[in-house]
Amino acid sequence: MESSSRIVDDAIQALASFPGVGRRTALRMVVHLLRRPEPEVLQMAQALERLKKDLCLCRECGNVSDQELCPICMNPSRNRKELCVVADFSDQMAIEATSQFRGIYHILGGLIAPVDGIGPDELNIASLLHRVQKEHFEEVILAFNATAEGDTTMFYLARKLRDTGARITNISRGISVGAELEYADEATLGRSILNRTEYSF
Amino acid sequence: MELLRLHLLNYRNHEVLTLEFCPGVNGISGPNGAGKTGILDAVHYLANCKSYFNGMDAPLMRHGSDFFTLRGIYTTGSKEEEIVIHVPAQGKKTIKRNGKAYERVMDHIGLLQTVMIAPNDIELVWGGSEERRRFIDLTLSQALREYLEELVQYKQGLDQRNALLKALKGKPSDPVLFEAIEHRMVPAGNKIYQLRKDFFTQFTPYFESAYERISNGMEHASLHYVSDLESKEMQELLDEHRAKDVVMERSTRGPHRDDVLFTLNGHPLKRYGSQGQIKSFVLALKAAQFNYFVQQKGQKPILLLDDIYEKIDEDRAQALMQLVSSGDFGQILITDTHAERVKQHVNAPGLKTRFFTLDRNGNMLT
Repeated sequence: MESSSRIVDDAIQALASFPGVGRRTALRMVVHLLRRPEPEVLQMAQALERLKKDLCLCRECGNVSDQELCPICMNPSRNRKELCVVADFSDQMAIEATSQFRGIYHILGGLIAPVDGIGPDELNIASLLHRVQKEHFEEVILAFNATAEGDTTMFYLARKLRDTGARITNISRGISVGAELEYADEATLGRSILNRTEYSF
Repeated sequence: MELLRLHLLNYRNHEVLTLEFCPGVNGISGPNGAGKTGILDAVHYLANCKSYFNGMDAPLMRHGSDFFTLRGIYTTGSKEEEIVIHVPAQGKKTIKRNGKAYERVMDHIGLLQTVMIAPNDIELVWGGSEERRRFIDLTLSQALREYLEELVQYKQGLDQRNALLKALKGKPSDPVLFEAIEHRMVPAGNKIYQLRKDFFTQFTPYFESAYERISNGMEHASLHYVSDLESKEMQELLDEHRAKDVVMERSTRGPHRDDVLFTLNGHPLKRYGSQGQIKSFVLALKAAQFNYFVQQKGQKPILLLDDIYEKIDEDRAQALMQLVSSGDFGQILITDTHAERVKQHVNAPGLKTRFFTLDRNGNMLT
């Protein structure tokens, strides 16, 4: 295939590196960008540039932030006795979106997975242990994926945090809202029945 | 359970192939390289979600294609079941039962059972312990739902533990990290041992009587399950060997090292068995596998006989074929380079038979 512009080719290749975006979609995006006014496109480019140039990690929780401390850590109305530990900032955003949690967060930056070369030293675990010891949380909530790595990380942290005085909890796993028992997979249903809870009115 | 129709798309050397089977004996003949074995392997794949001969999916795709699809229409009693397996070169394999996709591939395993007898089965005797574990795993996972779950759980833990041991390069590490990884392996390891032990209690008598039939009661053949967990449970094994494991950079104890000792009149088969005795032994293992499935699942598995004349002598093959024709078995698929040989040997009155001939390109002639 012969192309008329190296610049267009480069843009397609760059966009096609996104997850879930193939060359055809990338081409459509490039066509779209070419049709938009220049300031709009430059603004977009600048937004991307700032992700790498201006974004930093919050000194307290390790979340992505524009300043040294993120707005959640600075917010005086958040409950500083409850800490929710998550693997990535996308998990933090998912929990925040539920509006059910008013405490503060700690982002590990991944899960323990020796197979992928990730041990506790590669994650923000030392800072977590330090933080829990220093700040006397009443509860530390471990909110990880229900996978082998999530399970290993949860066990590791629960052990490490055992003697800090904080109550260690983990998010419950089970039947999705609106799901039917009949179609639930056996592992999930088995766990739900094992970890059943008292009915509360 | 019988396979009524099989459709192959880009599977091994078959671009498109449809076969309609009869409930009895189905003979498939054709020259070498026509893809006879591929047809049996497709039936195995539809039950086990993987090839009998090849651990990887990519080599199963027809040269130049970037996916393969297998479709089987089965009948279980009065009900028809459609199983479709689609394997793309890139992305996840999907398995659909009656149009509904399974969430996990492993959820399908156990619905259908197959017993394959192929020339390379002799490796069960000559090969390393992983060959014999593969046989145990293949049998148990088709019969018991929970076995595969435990096996996956254990394997995940073992892989993580071995990766950690490798990364440590002989240096000791945080005991809590070991504990975190091992806490998943321990219950799974103990459970696997228990299930395998129970399996041999049930399986060995089937095997012994099958061997007796095949050898006319000339010798006594038996199976002995060998495991690190016989003397100690999983946590104890790990605790005791952790320091050594760190030095060795791998997990040196556990059910991943299990083996089965094959004996003939109390002596190890590998050392004392004749060629003929070894062949009989392998056949008896397969016959026992068949009976075990019947017992566990209440339905006869599909028997897949690949090129049995290749490695088995004529006498034994004929004895096997008589067994096959006796009606004790359910549906059978047989491949052979000579169409006439199968036809001659399978001729019991009242037995349903159908014969297929492939040309050297894998196209159906009859």
